[in-house]
Amino acid sequence: MATLEGAADQQSAAPGRHVELRRPPRLARMAGVLRAGETGAWKWGARVAVLLPFAALAFVVAVLAVKAYSAVEVNGTGFFTGAAWKIGSTYAATTRTDGVAHPVGSSYGAWPLIAGTLQTSAIAVIIALPISIGCAFALTERLPRWVSRPLGFAIELLAGVPSVVLGLWGVLTFGPALSKTLYPFIADHLPNVPVLSFFKGTVGHGEGLLTGSLVLTLMIVPIITATTADLFRQVPSLSKEGGEALGMTDFEVANRITLRWVRSGIIGATVLGLGRALGETMALVLTVGAIFQLAPNVYSPMSTIAAAIATQLDSSLTDGTGFAVASIAELALVLAVISVFVNLVARWIVHHTSRLGGPVGRGT
Amino acid sequence: MPADVPGSRSERTEGAARPGGVASAPEGGPSQAVDSVLDALDPDRDRPANVIETHGLGLSFGSKPVLSSIDMQFGRGTITALIGPTGSGKSTFLRSLNRMNDKVVGFRHEGDATLDGRSIWDPGTDLLDLRRRVGMLFQRPNPFPMSIRDNVVAGVRAHRIAKGKQLDVVAEQRLRKVGLWDAVKDRLHDTPFRLSGGQQQLLCLARALAVGPDVLLLDEPTSSLDPISTEYIEAMLAELVPALTLIVVTHNLGQARRVSHRTMFFYDGQLVEQGPTEDLFERPTNLQTERYVMGRFG
Repeated sequence: MATLEGAADQQSAAPGRHVELRRPPRLARMAGVLRAGETGAWKWGARVAVLLPFAALAFVVAVLAVKAYSAVEVNGTGFFTGAAWKIGSTYAATTRTDGVAHPVGSSYGAWPLIAGTLQTSAIAVIIALPISIGCAFALTERLPRWVSRPLGFAIELLAGVPSVVLGLWGVLTFGPALSKTLYPFIADHLPNVPVLSFFKGTVGHGEGLLTGSLVLTLMIVPIITATTADLFRQVPSLSKEGGEALGMTDFEVANRITLRWVRSGIIGATVLGLGRALGETMALVLTVGAIFQLAPNVYSPMSTIAAAIATQLDSSLTDGTGFAVASIAELALVLAVISVFVNLVARWIVHHTSRLGGPVGRGT
Repeated sequence: MPADVPGSRSERTEGAARPGGVASAPEGGPSQAVDSVLDALDPDRDRPANVIETHGLGLSFGSKPVLSSIDMQFGRGTITALIGPTGSGKSTFLRSLNRMNDKVVGFRHEGDATLDGRSIWDPGTDLLDLRRRVGMLFQRPNPFPMSIRDNVVAGVRAHRIAKGKQLDVVAEQRLRKVGLWDAVKDRLHDTPFRLSGGQQQLLCLARALAVGPDVLLLDEPTSSLDPISTEYIEAMLAELVPALTLIVVTHNLGQARRVSHRTMFFYDGQLVEQGPTEDLFERPTNLQTERYVMGRFG
């Protein structure tokens, strides 16, 4: 209707012409009926759309749970404490535990994998976070535009490099190079105190926990940097100027004002990166050495849940009882639970740190 | 809070003209002795009468000149209003006095500006201390994302003026000074963003006062506030002199008339006219000034 009136207005503005408002043509009338239905369609469309992710999540978890049920029952708590991952003899007769058939000698302990997942992700995030904040800060506040634009673009390109490519590079070039240079240096110079002693010992050949973590770092730095840079751009410049006008140094303004504005948002960005790190598969399959053991030191080969699922599924399918696949499903279920748990914890932290913050970065 | 700013104006002018604020001592021998004793106690007696002076100050961004050869003296303990249409360069002038323009790409200056007789661009001048001594209040309240109490002492902390328990004392003192204490004393550790705009601006004023400045630059301090908050802040400014020297950029001509002792009229990067506020508004010597203060353009 509005368009018709608008058109009439325009025409009547022309001198000496009078145009009568006509009944809108049939097609327009039908469109009008549709318009009336739009609100309802929009409302219901939105409701369905908002439910889809929940439905998908529920469906995935439900299927995993059903698949993993027998394994959960038989493996019990040993799944979380045991260190041996054995399919057992697929040639001998099967045996039964609690009525569930499985090959003789099978044993499923995922503790090294669970620990490995947490180790690689934690190391990656701990290294990536300061790098990312520094990058984001340089991109938004320090570097001139003609430098920061191409640099920002390059960092985003890094996020687009397929993980298998990074993994291959990690195992062929990056890891071996580090094992000859950086690793011996770290191993020789760190003091032998708790936590840091984990970084001492033989450095191996570059396939292991640290190499995998560093490749992971490269993958999540772009994610955290991009999000953090966006947050920094939203910090009100008047607030930063207020700090400068008060006689604060650039560092004090960055540390006490800019970072505080975006603190909760950075936690959100970190969780994004952490989620990626927890679930990353191919880069780790290639770089961590894929040995199911609790790494004795940070250079040792080990494995993670995601990498184990990828490497073990093939042989698990040879288990005629299906118990190996059920155990793989249990692994997947554990990974899903860890991811959800990490997200919940992060949300809780965000909620409790945004109390003093302004609107920036809230609810991420 | 006194709202009788217009009425008390001439009295304050007198008081401000004599630093130390001993405005109306009766005549006679004993009072002269008292005067000399008071003068001896005056902390400002050894300092130049003008806290800030500019000498042929010109400013430009890149090849674009923004201000040219401004000569001006800001008497200690006075309030000076900077008026003029948008783009006339008054804000740029103000922001140069604590060197907030320095980091703008292409910023250049010629001539000089001095604080207590010393160039603010002197290599020996500590920029951070300059900004401590020449504080600033902005056109919109800009609290930091920290608790109300931490906001007040943010500058005190940065300059390491006080620490620990002293910070609480400073916070209370300054909040009382701006009349905000009763409103916020029960929520010192809450976010400042739930305060009203006027309260937030007062908080920023308390924050600026906390580091003990000599001069306060105010860049349209009430332009985002409602009339009642504006009136309150104007009254507050009147109380800050003669202890402080205030330089206020304002688009509000009434405000300039109400609060200031001197007024500078900027137009197109030039300081067209300056003088005692009453003269400038009642008897402008320049046609542009007259047109502007009469509200014929703006």
